Amino acid sequence: MKDIFTDLYNKVFGFFRQAEKKEEESAKDVACNRLKFVLMQDRTNLTPELMDRMRRELIELLSKYVEMDKEALELGFEQEGTQMALMLSIPVVRAKDESEIEAILAKEDEEKAKREAESAEESSEIEDSSSSESKTEEIVTEENEASTDDEDTMSGDITEEVSKLEKSEDLLVGAVVSSPISSQNKSNESVSGKKEEKKPVDAISK
Amino acid sequence: MTALIEEKNEEIKNQPKEQSKDRDIARGRVIVITSGKGGVGKTTTNANIGTALARAGKKVVMIDTDLGLRNLDLLLGLENRIVYTIVDVVEERCKLKQALVKDKKNPNLCLLAAAQTRDKTAVTEDQLKDICSQLQKDFDFILVDCPAGIEQGFQNAVAGASEAIVVTTPEMSAVRDADRIIGLLEAKEEIKSYKLLVNRVRPSMIATNDMMSVEDVSEILSTPIIGIIPEDSGIITSTNKGEPIVNDEKSLAGQAYANVARRILGEDVPFLNLESDTSMVGKVKKFFTGLFGKEK
Repeated sequence: MKDIFTDLYNKVFGFFRQAEKKEEESAKDVACNRLKFVLMQDRTNLTPELMDRMRRELIELLSKYVEMDKEALELGFEQEGTQMALMLSIPVVRAKDESEIEAILAKEDEEKAKREAESAEESSEIEDSSSSESKTEEIVTEENEASTDDEDTMSGDITEEVSKLEKSEDLLVGAVVSSPISSQNKSNESVSGKKEEKKPVDAISK
Repeated sequence: MTALIEEKNEEIKNQPKEQSKDRDIARGRVIVITSGKGGVGKTTTNANIGTALARAGKKVVMIDTDLGLRNLDLLLGLENRIVYTIVDVVEERCKLKQALVKDKKNPNLCLLAAAQTRDKTAVTEDQLKDICSQLQKDFDFILVDCPAGIEQGFQNAVAGASEAIVVTTPEMSAVRDADRIIGLLEAKEEIKSYKLLVNRVRPSMIATNDMMSVEDVSEILSTPIIGIIPEDSGIITSTNKGEPIVNDEKSLAGQAYANVARRILGEDVPFLNLESDTSMVGKVKKFFTGLFGKEK
């Protein structure tokens, strides 16, 4: 009985709330906001394949800390006011024990130390050649590609998987925090830059 | 050393400038009218701007590149006079001048019609470029009517042009498609300038915040505006008669198109005040909002 009333209350209240919302935002504003957002998405260079890859890498990273429903993980762009936000929704199945997480991380650190020792010479060479910032960026993307190759070929080996996780960790930070936004900015910059160049020419008005 | 480099840079800068100046003087302007989305009024815009420019004494040729779906002939009322099409020119069944159809009223105005029985692959980008450069010698303006879409038909139409008019309406789908088109136009080095023509504007809906305003559209697309055309039922009747609406001086849409042509010719023409003739309801609303402050 109580449920019925609360349900009814919510429905009635919800209806009025909706009505209020509709009055607040005019059709024009809705159109403008939706358009701005969809154009942002159109202008970003994230193809469905790249989004899928970002999703996979995020799952890899986060599953170290929580056990989650990988199928139900949602990733997409949403509009927060005037800003575009990358929204990640993760249904958590079970929180991992502290000891579990520590074990994984310890293993990872071990692997990391091993790798560092192995590739000390290689990396020093790379660092020498990459004096400018743009070059290091290139190397990051190269590593990025290499890591997915690893994924495809050696998915069975646990130690490999951990090393791969460690590798993809810093890549992920780059991918989530900077890459969608920076790539978008770049494209926007190039767009506006070009436009400004063209405006003075303006043959139509001449 | 730096002085040397600077001198060289100056040389490089100066050379192409002089060349382009000569070209501008000797040859007509090629303007492509495009939109991405279909049904926003590309062909209507083409027919009206072309007619208005011809009325202003310019020699104008319009090229319909919408192969298989030609309509520019209908809007101009020239459908019965077409003997040869652009495909006949390309496949050398006739000379270019033979394929040009003269307008009924204005001898300054010509049409190069599209073939109705062929598809977009019948003409290549290079062939269209070639046709445009030939026409540039004899005409002041070459208006290229672009088909909808961003495929080969669009690529062909844009190939010979150096300016573009992007037609859109204050609707979401049209603006989104216009944004795509603008992105593609920016990638083309040959396109030196492009402007926005906002068609089918309804001032009464904009006044009640039910439709995006022209300023909104221009801001979202960050592109300057060359024309604002109000929604006008006269467009349908004029199409039915096969006579562009610019010939009707009383029509608001006709005046708006005439103004676009004047802007193309370099005149600084203010945009029409479309809100002045809103309906009685609009006037009453205005009165009350004036009394009680800003309407929400």
